[in-house]
Amino acid sequence: MIEKGKISATQMGIMMYLTIIATAILLVPAITARQAKQDMWLSPFWASFIGFLTVYIAVQLHQLYPQKNLIEYSEDILGKFLGKAVGLIFLFFYLHVSGIIIREYGEFIVGSFLLHTPLVFVMGTIILVCSFAVRCGLEVIGRLAEMIVPVVIIMILILLILLIPDMEVANMFPIMEKGMMPSLKGAVIPQGWFTEFFLIAFLLPYVADRNKAKKWGMISVVAVMLTLSFVNIAVLFVLGELTAGFIYPAMSAVRYISIAGFLEHIEAIVAALWVAGVFLKIAVFYYALVLGTAQWLNLSDYRPIIFPVGFLLLLFSIWSASNLMELTHFLGSSSPFYRISIQMGIPLILLFIAKWRKRASNSNQGKYQG
Amino acid sequence: MKTGFILGTLVLVALIFLYEWPRINRTQKKEKIVFIALLSLGTILAIVLILNPDLPGPTQMIDYIYKPLGRMLGK
Repeated sequence: MIEKGKISATQMGIMMYLTIIATAILLVPAITARQAKQDMWLSPFWASFIGFLTVYIAVQLHQLYPQKNLIEYSEDILGKFLGKAVGLIFLFFYLHVSGIIIREYGEFIVGSFLLHTPLVFVMGTIILVCSFAVRCGLEVIGRLAEMIVPVVIIMILILLILLIPDMEVANMFPIMEKGMMPSLKGAVIPQGWFTEFFLIAFLLPYVADRNKAKKWGMISVVAVMLTLSFVNIAVLFVLGELTAGFIYPAMSAVRYISIAGFLEHIEAIVAALWVAGVFLKIAVFYYALVLGTAQWLNLSDYRPIIFPVGFLLLLFSIWSASNLMELTHFLGSSSPFYRISIQMGIPLILLFIAKWRKRASNSNQGKYQG
Repeated sequence: MKTGFILGTLVLVALIFLYEWPRINRTQKKEKIVFIALLSLGTILAIVLILNPDLPGPTQMIDYIYKPLGRMLGK
């Protein structure tokens, strides 16, 4: 096995929590609001079903092949050629999605804070920092998550509390004016984010206390769901119908905070939170990508390819979209289906085939014994 | 401008190479091949992208495949 480190189930859950919400709290409210209008706070609830399903699939596959991760067991399930093909699809997917995440980060920083810094530089530095984290291995990323997440949660709570004076509960009504459909349609986009839970397929083989892994995966889904709903509710209460017009509604809502005339411009805290969160998110994706590539090519060590892959990531982040509008359009139209079909569709098929193969081999054995 | 970017890319690639090459074990032949392959792939892609920034990318490909579904969400 390439990775020798071990993480605890708790660390895995915490890591996934931050990985999902890091980009979700900033971009998703606006895209959800476009479809769901005032019912946007309901959408994360519907979307979380797919999160539970994804965790369930990943854990089931893990129980069938306890020592292996996705890239390795897809070969066992589908045979050498098809397995490698599925592995390649996943590697391309993670390369592309990580590129998009890095681009989201770069556009956010350049668009709201470092107005005169070249985009490439902003993205290059975060990749460099992440590559050091990945180089240190999974244990280090796990401990980083343990360190960052409590701060992030406390900060989100403080921001929500500070926003209370600006909230207008009437923005929420009428609830379900046009029935369930708008909120269900709005749920399609967060679903794309919830399927990112499939990343645990890369982490599960290195979890020390495996019987708790499923429990912590589910807790993580619930936590993400609650966080997203609370953020959506807060944004909706503060901005109302305007939410869909902003690119980063959470950020714009926080700009409203003004306590006694001196506690203002708290959006800097949002930015700090976001840099920390995205750092971890990119590190986890990067790790999965590098480890997967090394296993796909049967290498004995994944460290030599970290920097070349990082360079490719930088190129993909530039290549993936020509500007922010194109990027948010992609995130709001095809990307959820892309993510769902790859991170849930393919694993579901793998699980069915694996179960069927197990059953077939079991009944064969039964025949011979009988 | 473009020559500057290409020179910058080459410097970056050279730095990655100089940093990583001595760290790869002499016995790890496969790692060396993969390292060189990935790095040259990146270099070629970078130069192509610098010379032709409007090259259709992976996002366009995915968008093309999933367009019928994406249209469901309107706009």
